[in-house]
Amino acid sequence: MDATKPKRRRKRHHTATEIDEQLFVSHFINLQLHFVINKDELNLLVIVMDVNPIWWGQQAQREPEFTLSKCLDAVMVMGNSHMAMTTTNRLAVISSHFQDSHFLYPCKNWTGGDGAWDGTMDEAPYCGDGKYELLSVANNVVAEEMKRVMSTTEMKGNSTDTLLAGSLAKALCCILLKIVTFFSAGQEMKSRILVIKTAEDCARQYMNFMNVIFAAQKQNILIDACVLDSDSGLLQQACDITGGLYLKIPQKIALAQYLLWVFLPDLEQRPQLVLPPPVHVDYRAACFCHRNLIEIGYVCSVCLSIFCNFSPICTTCETAFKIQLPQMMKSKKKKLKQSI
Amino acid sequence: MASLSEEVLLVLKKVRQRKQDGTLYLMAERIAWGPEGKDRFTVSHLYSDIRCQKISPDGKAKIQLQLVLHTGESSTFHFSNDSSALTDREAAKDLLQQLLPKFKKKANKELEEKNRMLQEDPVLFQLYKDLVVSQVISAEEFWANRMSTTNTENTLSDKKQDVGISAAFLADIRPQTDGCNGLRYNLTPDIIESIFRTYPAVQQKYGENVPHNLTEKEFWTRFFQSHYFHRDRISTGALDIFSECAKQDEKGQVPSYEGYGFSAAASTSNPNRTGKENSNSAIIKRFNHHSAMILAAGSRRGDAPNDQASETSSTDGNSRDSDLFQPPIKKVKLQEAIDYLDLQREDGPKTVALNLKKSDRYAHGPVPLESQKYTTSQDIINSITCIRHEMANYVPNLAQVLTSSAVSSAIAALSPGGVLMQTGTQQAINQMVPSEVQGELKHLYIAAGELLRHFWTCFPVNSPFLEEKVVKMRSNLERFQMTKLRPFQEKVQRQYLSANITGHLEEMLQTAYNKLHAWQTRRMMRKI
Repeated sequence: MDATKPKRRRKRHHTATEIDEQLFVSHFINLQLHFVINKDELNLLVIVMDVNPIWWGQQAQREPEFTLSKCLDAVMVMGNSHMAMTTTNRLAVISSHFQDSHFLYPCKNWTGGDGAWDGTMDEAPYCGDGKYELLSVANNVVAEEMKRVMSTTEMKGNSTDTLLAGSLAKALCCILLKIVTFFSAGQEMKSRILVIKTAEDCARQYMNFMNVIFAAQKQNILIDACVLDSDSGLLQQACDITGGLYLKIPQKIALAQYLLWVFLPDLEQRPQLVLPPPVHVDYRAACFCHRNLIEIGYVCSVCLSIFCNFSPICTTCETAFKIQLPQMMKSKKKKLKQSI
Repeated sequence: MASLSEEVLLVLKKVRQRKQDGTLYLMAERIAWGPEGKDRFTVSHLYSDIRCQKISPDGKAKIQLQLVLHTGESSTFHFSNDSSALTDREAAKDLLQQLLPKFKKKANKELEEKNRMLQEDPVLFQLYKDLVVSQVISAEEFWANRMSTTNTENTLSDKKQDVGISAAFLADIRPQTDGCNGLRYNLTPDIIESIFRTYPAVQQKYGENVPHNLTEKEFWTRFFQSHYFHRDRISTGALDIFSECAKQDEKGQVPSYEGYGFSAAASTSNPNRTGKENSNSAIIKRFNHHSAMILAAGSRRGDAPNDQASETSSTDGNSRDSDLFQPPIKKVKLQEAIDYLDLQREDGPKTVALNLKKSDRYAHGPVPLESQKYTTSQDIINSITCIRHEMANYVPNLAQVLTSSAVSSAIAALSPGGVLMQTGTQQAINQMVPSEVQGELKHLYIAAGELLRHFWTCFPVNSPFLEEKVVKMRSNLERFQMTKLRPFQEKVQRQYLSANITGHLEEMLQTAYNKLHAWQTRRMMRKI
């Protein structure tokens, strides 16, 4: 065996097909990596839960098999699934009450850090199933905070409407704060808001709601809506304007399934799935006098207020109008042509 | 002379053609020449036949004008009037210059125009093919509407573009040395026009002095000699008619553009400046002034045609008209000419405060004030206590969130064909019908739209012409339906089971028929 002489290797010229194959394979791997590990982009999901105690209390009496506990469980499953998809996914949960909006997760009151199991936590509640610590911590926090919120519920004022516009505004602020903090670190962030709505729309929040919607649209933040009880025109508009999905689910007990099927995929993956088609949104305006929804009406050119009937004075800005009525045509006497 | 039924624009006596004395007549549509003493024209050319005209150079003794026809023939006219030969020739030449372009190939122009339009606009071409080639309507009807719109468009677009003034027009003159210590300036009408537009004062001077005191040539010679033109501009000699222009310019009646080389501070002369600096600043000042005049001319151009006379008289301080009451008007006009809105400080639009009595109406969205479900206070208290109780004992139970039956029904609802996916299928109609069929449908819509437009513009029927047209349009519509719509519909139905995609078209046609029928019955009733 002649080990001293190095073997001369003949250089193989790669054929064209081999090169193509290599290129294809490397490209394919890159794509996979891109989908699976996108180190540059964070995905933040903010779940806004409507926890109006009055509606939920009545719901508990109407349908005992689906109560606030079950709903919370479903939301936790959704949150866990979202965080389990990739390491760059983040979660926030806000509870929307008639007295305030509260961040259930992440929460300042909890002292355990951002999910790291650093051994300082004495209790290991609900953790016995060996779950990923981040998920179990998140669940704990949500449960604790929700208990706290509900225990401090008091009926002070006479408003029983959920402060949804305020919760959405808080969600937007949270998103923007995260964007700012991550932007300085060179990371991009995509975010969306999922609203789980139970009670009815509050007409008084309309302006704030619309402002929030347009702000979200400007920042390219999606608003999805999962509606349990009655259709909400405001949320339909929100989803239509920001490009999110609106769904009114027929069965509340399967809430988790609907959430996972429809709302778990993010914006890039949605076009590749067959999802429920968008709803037809009623964009009709309401007249200022009766608040009926009208399609054709009269608009004051000074203050742009809409009326269903013509009135010579606009009641909002007191401008006087003249409308030209069709002129009375004098009946012309017909000249009969003399036929020759 | 034989009675001339045409309008005569110009008559020039003592014009020789082929060594014969005669008179040249320029009329509205042709140019003609008749020998002296005779009352008929031996030579007559329509302007549309003339390809171009030529003149003999200035230095030659014979002053001639030659007309070259499209056929290649040419006729030469020799202006032999001793005193005014040159002016005659110039007059004839100018008039021809104006008239010839109008007549050039007028007849062919329309066909060319039509061809061009058809080529440029494929939709129009398709419409033409659908309607005229298949003889649903005749070609004249088709073009009747189109030509009027395009003609107005073309003339409008012609008017919009005006050639601006080149900033280098004075430099472009480029004098050439004549060999013997003289300079030769080549002035074209374009340059003259530029000079007049930029320096209206010079135009004013021209108007005053030519042709009374000086000939054009002398005027321009003096212009170029004057120190007004030259860069050093040391004004000497009161004989110089342009010294007044220089003085006027010094007065600073020219717009000054802050920041573009002008600054208020620099205008105050610094006594410590050296002679060289002074001359440099003078040159720069003149240059800026020149540019400013060009800009002002550009803005003045917009209202020039109407105001030319008044403007030149108002902007020239030396106008013979009474200066006394001119200044305020002059100043206003000058102000208007030099005010650029976007160079001024933003004043903000003048607003009227909106006086709203009931502004809370806006805050209330289009959510109608329906009565909400009334909950009694007892209900509320009950609900709250119930929830509190429930949440106090809450333990997340994530292993039992869903039952399989609930899940399978949810999945069924979300699958294609399920309860929640219903509206999706309705949108697929454009996927069920292939694109050629869609294209044909589009053509049908365009053609039907055109016919219906003709039909509906006939109403209200005021004249007998419209009555005939309405009836004709109805027959056109019927023919369209028979020849185009029905076969298309049958083809679609044979091949694709689905939808009635021509339903809307049929509806539109039916509405038109109904309208005509109603109108006809009303007419019959009136006649009875």
